[in-house]
Amino acid sequence: MSASTTQALPARAPRPRRSSLRSWRWSDRLVYLLAWLSGLSLCLVAAALILYLGVRGIEYVSPSLLFSRPTAGVDQSQIGGILDPLLGTLLVVAIGILLATPTGVCSAVWIVEYGRPRWLARAVESSIEIVAGTPDIVIALFALTLFQLGAFGFLSFTAQGGGVYGRSFLTAGVAVSLLAIPPVFLATRDGLQALPGHQREGAFALGKTRVASIRRVLLPGVRPNIGTGVTLGMGRIIGDTAIVFLLLGVGASQRFDFQGGTPGLGALRGTGSTLTSYIYTTSPAGEGNAPQKAYAAAFVLLLMVLALNACAGFVSARGAGGRMSFGDRVRFGAWA
Amino acid sequence: MKRIRRLTAALTFSGVLGIALPALAVAASVITISGATASAPLVTLLAQKYVKVKPHQVKFKIAQGGANVGIADVAAGRVTMADVSRDPLPSDPSGLEFYPIAKYFVCVVTNTANPLANLTQAQAQAIFTGKVRDWSQVPGASAHGTIDLISRTSSAGVLTTFQQLLLGNKTVSSIASQEPSEGLLQQKVKSDPNAIGFLSDYFALKGVNPVGYNGVGCSVANAVSGQYPGVAHFYEVTRGPATGASKAFISWIKHSAAARKIIASSWIPLN
Amino acid sequence: MLERLRHPWSDRRAELVLGAAAASVCLVIGLMIAFVAVRAWPTFAHNGLSWLGPGGNTEHQIGKMLYTGPHPPASAYHLSAWPLIYGTLLTSGLALVFGMTFALLAAIFLVEFAPLTVRRVLVPVVRLLAGVPSVIYGLVGILVLAPFVGNHVISPAQKRSVEYVVQLDGTGLIVAVVILTLMITPIMVALIADALSTVPTAWREGAVALGVNPLRATLAVSLRAIRPAIVAAGAFACARAVGEAVMIAMVSGGNAFTPKPWDGVVFLFEPLLTLAASILNNADALSAPAVGSTMNAFALLLLFSAFVLSLGSYLVKLPLRRYHAGLR
Repeated sequence: MSASTTQALPARAPRPRRSSLRSWRWSDRLVYLLAWLSGLSLCLVAAALILYLGVRGIEYVSPSLLFSRPTAGVDQSQIGGILDPLLGTLLVVAIGILLATPTGVCSAVWIVEYGRPRWLARAVESSIEIVAGTPDIVIALFALTLFQLGAFGFLSFTAQGGGVYGRSFLTAGVAVSLLAIPPVFLATRDGLQALPGHQREGAFALGKTRVASIRRVLLPGVRPNIGTGVTLGMGRIIGDTAIVFLLLGVGASQRFDFQGGTPGLGALRGTGSTLTSYIYTTSPAGEGNAPQKAYAAAFVLLLMVLALNACAGFVSARGAGGRMSFGDRVRFGAWA
Repeated sequence: MKRIRRLTAALTFSGVLGIALPALAVAASVITISGATASAPLVTLLAQKYVKVKPHQVKFKIAQGGANVGIADVAAGRVTMADVSRDPLPSDPSGLEFYPIAKYFVCVVTNTANPLANLTQAQAQAIFTGKVRDWSQVPGASAHGTIDLISRTSSAGVLTTFQQLLLGNKTVSSIASQEPSEGLLQQKVKSDPNAIGFLSDYFALKGVNPVGYNGVGCSVANAVSGQYPGVAHFYEVTRGPATGASKAFISWIKHSAAARKIIASSWIPLN
Repeated sequence: MLERLRHPWSDRRAELVLGAAAASVCLVIGLMIAFVAVRAWPTFAHNGLSWLGPGGNTEHQIGKMLYTGPHPPASAYHLSAWPLIYGTLLTSGLALVFGMTFALLAAIFLVEFAPLTVRRVLVPVVRLLAGVPSVIYGLVGILVLAPFVGNHVISPAQKRSVEYVVQLDGTGLIVAVVILTLMITPIMVALIADALSTVPTAWREGAVALGVNPLRATLAVSLRAIRPAIVAAGAFACARAVGEAVMIAMVSGGNAFTPKPWDGVVFLFEPLLTLAASILNNADALSAPAVGSTMNAFALLLLFSAFVLSLGSYLVKLPLRRYHAGLR
């Protein structure tokens, strides 16, 4: 700062201090204290949860656990590892996201770019809201009844005697994709709405059709938003228990159960388990008798959720405008 | 570019065919089973042995849920066979065939810290119907405080068997906490010193204290000799007479030596 | 055929395809509501309005349904769902009350009072807590909290006082409410904090300029301004609490008992069951028609309540539209 400016400008104004607590009423002081306590206790609870699961989990997690398959056994030291549930989680997430992303993105593009007839646009928006608000147990129940109809036998298998089993990775993946559609839809829609109008106008002025402008101008512009939505959707899918519990079947074993002779299609049409259904089944609430394995699996699951959260933060930080607000990110990533 | 796209399309197509065709060729029949948690360990072992003995013919899918769930499933055509751990009841749906495959027995069990040796029928009735609620009123018990009754959910066949054979057809009180599987009942009794429940022999002889009944100890020897009254059958139930793969499986269980050996390991063979 | 697909699509075709994707979502939702309603109809038809009333242990009634065959008589559908409805209302209501208080305080802390370092920690913490799967909460509840309550908080005298009616073992109302509060608070904190930060600073500064201390300024100005957002957050959290099945199934005791407030402290330890947890517990018995119909009826009730909550929050927000800040 040169000498002239120090004389021209007043001395830097003192930063406004918070009014000293002593001037407050005692009820205000109490509320202030409670507010601090609430905030800090949230941090404490999260720390306690992570630490407890970490301690218990690390006790029982070992590389052999991660890479060995579950086996049937009476004592919990004999029931093997969590490789199948881990792969099962990844498989369900993959199927769910593969189904949800095109649907969500296409719906959002249609709503923002076209949106006629109006009644259909309103219906679509309401449906997405309804899906976002539906408890996952209701979706699971509906999916189970739907996929046990004869017409859907190709998605799972039909037992001798005519009963469609209705439970398989494919059916679970389809049901779970319903959970991931709202985050993807909302993120994409917000991103598209936040794109400045001049991008579209420039594309039209250059003679591009609407389709081409969507493909070449708009969609690349909202890639970070789609990324955020997809990551939030993955978080929702990973955390879901009710749907995979009902739709992957609770067999005596937690292993992949191939259906049909081929490895690829057979795994999809067969049943198995995911980390969440494995935790439920090995906890005292399910079949099981294996709290150690439950802790280990819970620890692995928590790590995956943490990683996804970090990913979501990273992906959305790279995006430009139309970023999802804190509330929306939590709201749509968290119905787990 | 055009050639690359055509090539990719052709490769994908043949890849899909390559996967799908073998699937169509190997058409193993699938037997789905649901039902009793008491016989699930036995049926799982039998199924595993059967698949080893006759490979590539049958695949099994074994679920549980309780004997009554199994009966409802098989009556609705949802599964091929049901594991049932109780005798047929008049309220069962018509058209079902019951095939006995093994015998088992039911014991009253307490925690190992409470080594109750014996209960008469009257005592058992009083405890399980909720008339007696404190361990101080039970002679021979070393536990103190309220009796924690552990029972099974109403889908259980072992519950029906227990009520019929050991409780003189009285029903277990609704105060009892209801566990959906034998394993969970065993676990509850193991972890609570004041607990009392009932289990099939496979679960009752491991880690909990089996209680005698009317002076007869609950053991394999007494069950085989006929002295212990709580002996019942495991059945495989089909809708209509068993056909095809399920018929082959049931007759293998009844007639093969390997199956008999498996049954004799922890249960009682039919003959 | 591939040739044709390669050429750029016309706008019309793109509109139809994209519209079909969007309409398929509508279709699936409509199908879901129709399916659940149609399958739930028999149990309502046979029970009438008394289905919602009290009258016996619901789990036992469902258990009896397993004994009926593929074509059950009308009497097989008998059910009184009140214990489950009461359980749902009780847990969700208590969790909402505690959670909302907690969330308001924490949100005010986050936006107004937290130093930057604490804020940088608290935001990821809230996001993490909101994203933890419910099965992990249930696991900690059933392996840590329930045994703690059962062995160290409930006294043998308390157990004896209700021993002829119900068994207390730690799983029950208080564990369920504590964990449910923990589950719904982060979502409310995030939504309310979001809304608080959109209140124009001029409004608050005006209040502070008039001599009000910062806390009162927030309470009097910002909170009033974001009332629609608070309502929306509350409705959303309530819908989440009502639909929670897995965690409640693990820690609530699984007994369709109606906890009685006049039992005193023991009221907190009594087991209960909610609609969603009951659906989860009876999922493998769905092939019995009476059970399937009942479960679909519960699901319909849950759908209906989620719908009512979102409609209610919309209606409550209407008169509050005067305030522009924080509207969702």
